Amino acid sequence: MEPSQLALIIEDDEDLAIIFTEALRLAGFETKTIRDGQVAMEELDGCQPTVIVLDLHLPHVNGLEILAKIRADERLKSAKVIIATADPRMSDLAEEADFVLIKPISFAQLRDLSARLR
Amino acid sequence: MSFLNQILTVPVTDPDGARRRRLLNILLLGVSVISIAVIFIVLAINQSSQDMSILIYGSLATLGGTVLIYLINRSRNSGFIASHLFLILLMVVMTFSDSPEQVATGRALFAFTIPIIMASVLVGARASFVYAAFGDLIIIGIALWLRIEPNFPAVLGFLLVALISWLSARSLEQVLNELRLMNRDLDQRVAQQTLDLTKALTREREEAGRIHAILEGIADGVLVFDNRDQVIIANAALGRYLGTPPEEMIGQHFADLNRLSELTPKSKQEVLDLFNTPDQYKSNVRVKWDKYTFSVNASRVIDNDGELIGKVAVFRDFTHEAEVEDLKSIFLATVSHELRTPLSAILGYSEMLKEQAFGALTEKQNSTMIRIMNNTRRLLAIVNDLLDQAQIEAGRMRLIQRQFQVQDLVEGLHGVMDQIAEDKGLTLATQVEVGMPETLYGDPDRLQQVLVNLVTNAIKFTDTGGIWIRLFTPDPSCWVIEVKDTGIGIALEQQSKIFEPFGQIEDLATREHGGIGLGLTIVKNLVILMDGEIRLDSQPGHGTTFTVNLPIKQS
Repeated sequence: MEPSQLALIIEDDEDLAIIFTEALRLAGFETKTIRDGQVAMEELDGCQPTVIVLDLHLPHVNGLEILAKIRADERLKSAKVIIATADPRMSDLAEEADFVLIKPISFAQLRDLSARLR
Repeated sequence: MSFLNQILTVPVTDPDGARRRRLLNILLLGVSVISIAVIFIVLAINQSSQDMSILIYGSLATLGGTVLIYLINRSRNSGFIASHLFLILLMVVMTFSDSPEQVATGRALFAFTIPIIMASVLVGARASFVYAAFGDLIIIGIALWLRIEPNFPAVLGFLLVALISWLSARSLEQVLNELRLMNRDLDQRVAQQTLDLTKALTREREEAGRIHAILEGIADGVLVFDNRDQVIIANAALGRYLGTPPEEMIGQHFADLNRLSELTPKSKQEVLDLFNTPDQYKSNVRVKWDKYTFSVNASRVIDNDGELIGKVAVFRDFTHEAEVEDLKSIFLATVSHELRTPLSAILGYSEMLKEQAFGALTEKQNSTMIRIMNNTRRLLAIVNDLLDQAQIEAGRMRLIQRQFQVQDLVEGLHGVMDQIAEDKGLTLATQVEVGMPETLYGDPDRLQQVLVNLVTNAIKFTDTGGIWIRLFTPDPSCWVIEVKDTGIGIALEQQSKIFEPFGQIEDLATREHGGIGLGLTIVKNLVILMDGEIRLDSQPGHGTTFTVNLPIKQS
């Protein structure tokens, strides 16, 4: 059995967090769901996720700051970041993030995409 | 002089009577002066003889007669009598002015012509004949008394003089009459014109008063400029809005108005541009000024000869409407967000179930999940359209422009629409013609939306055949998106309504085709935002072609 890989889901909306988590779980990840920007910043220091699903609109600390922290952290260099945003204008972020998915996000698409990242 | 005038003039209304009476008075004055002069001369010569006494008494009698006649002439209704009395007096004076022989047929004969001529002027043209006959009677009478032959040539001569007097007096009276008529006519015309002028002035004053009342009464701020762009009218409302007394703005150029400094440079330029090229058909400029939001309109004032005589600018207080619009768009954005979030969740949960996250589904469960998802997507699309339209109406829609691949645009379209076309059994094909650039500068997401909306519309109204999309460049400055379908077509009278918000909603056809009728409105607004234009060619039963013309931009 392969060592379990961690997927971090950072999303403040309860329903979307459940759906994303389920998609990542079906893709074979061990999942951790965080619904607050500040908590996410703290949690990032103590774990080594393979995939991070990141909402941009978060309480306390917004997604762009979290993305900057991830990219500045040598330890998290291999982590794949999937931005999940409702704003189609954010597709420009694709250069810093690995993927940008515009909400509403297809459950199957997220599941299949993250499965390929394992 | 005025004293003399007062003595001579008799105040009667008949102009002829007045003229005759005045003439009579002058003659009376002359005769009196002559009589007095005669008396003084005779007294000065101091040669007492019978002849001299007669001369003095005759002169005194004449003087008395003239005074009496003058008094009669002064009284209101006796001008006619006075004239005759005067003429009779003259005849008498003439009769006794010389020896009877001389009077009857000698040197004094001519003296009778004086009253004959005067009669025509003093009494009337025909009176000359009366006094000619009177004179004739006197000389014939004297001749008979002296037992000499009457001087018949003189008798005839008097009548002749009367004839000439009559003729000349008559023509004089005619001329006077015509003159008088002309005068009266002239007077009437002057009176009429005075009346007209007074009316016109009154009207103008009333008009000016009305305009003033309107200008001061309306809630809109009004500025009127002359042809040198100086303010000539600023109304009270504008003064209130800008906190500047209107009279302080008079004579200033718009750019010099103090309160203008509070405008942002962009707004200031927009307003100045509007003033420099006023056009009543051009949409107004909206500016925030102090605590107000104004909708500013400007138009030229052209006189009848087509000359520019000034400009008028109207400042409509749009503050309340702007606030309502802001509230509306905030409300719509909030509501849209609040609607989209649960819809996204429904879509996600449905898909989760359909993708068998919680175990295998029966065939019926599976098809139901698909229906739930499709309905949710439709609802989501409507919410998105409403949000877009709200943003467009609030002027908040912004393009995010960048370089993009034309091929990505085409693939994006087919990724979304292929399944939908296939479900309906329609062909959906895109042709990118030779000459199309591989990359373009623009907002790819909004272009995608334009394409998707046009194709969605085409699929909605097409039951057989298909939709053909063509991208090409007719010239290096622009590129064209053409969406052609084999659908039901659009009747000519519907074509103008088709881009209006909710334009399809009344249409019965639409009710069975679904949608709320914002797709094409959004397309048109986006195309305008991209500096492009859209037109359609259609005939009922022969399909529809939408053509979007867009400029090729170099970043």
